[in-house]
Amino acid sequence: EFLIISSAIPILAFIIFEVLASIRNGLEKLSSYELSIEPMSGACLQFRISYYMFALVFVVFDVETVFLYPWAMSFNVLGVPIFIKAFIFVSILIVGSVYAWKKRGLEWS
Amino acid sequence: MILSVLSSPALVSGLMVARAKNPVHSVLFPILVFRDTSSLLLLLGLDFSAMIFPVVHIGAIAVSFLFVVMMFYIQIAEIHEEVLRYLPVSGIIGLIFWWEMFFILDNETIPLLPTQRNTTSLRYTVYAVKVRSWTNLETLGNLLYTYYSVWFLVPSTIFKALSWGVSLLK
Repeated sequence: EFLIISSAIPILAFIIFEVLASIRNGLEKLSSYELSIEPMSGACLQFRISYYMFALVFVVFDVETVFLYPWAMSFNVLGVPIFIKAFIFVSILIVGSVYAWKKRGLEWS
Repeated sequence: MILSVLSSPALVSGLMVARAKNPVHSVLFPILVFRDTSSLLLLLGLDFSAMIFPVVHIGAIAVSFLFVVMMFYIQIAEIHEEVLRYLPVSGIIGLIFWWEMFFILDNETIPLLPTQRNTTSLRYTVYAVKVRSWTNLETLGNLLYTYYSVWFLVPSTIFKALSWGVSLLK
């Protein structure tokens, strides 16, 4: 039963996609849009690497926050040694962030 | 039924990661996988893990992958010229992984193959848990920072190295 249903659902999804939103691409539809004039180049432009670096820093602090949520929930039963371990955890991350900051890794220009 | 509805799109989306022509689509399909996996975790009662999947995996990791893909100027036509060339190696790796799943997972606990339903099997209920049960988050907190405290500190060093990598990239 599981195999039948799990096989039918993706097949159904693809059939619905083909019926309702079938793609008929022509040369004009595939070209990039440049305000009704002839397109001079492709649509893909390489963007600044600063965006990616900020995304990486966000990953670091996001996962750090995820690690701190269970600690916050169990804070009252864990005690001082666990508080010190969490402090060490956060301080290691802060050291890395300060290093990136001092090396001007987070500057926009 | 719900298990089938959630798991089959996850499997198909995982397959489409490799089969999608556009590399941006290849990064968007894992978002569907994470979404379906998060729903499956909700069904299992792991509420914290289910909430963390969209936040970390989709919001941070998939976005990082998207940035990497968008930074490269990949010609779509080049990717699908010799796709079948990778089929033998990828097929062998896929079969090994498939075999490992059947080897490791116990068929009685998690039935992978169709078995006759045993209606007379005894189930042992832990009634002590029903009196006052910890939430998923509290359980994680009580274990992660005590018995697995070393594994809790190791990711901080990895993330520190990632911060160093950010400054090196600049």
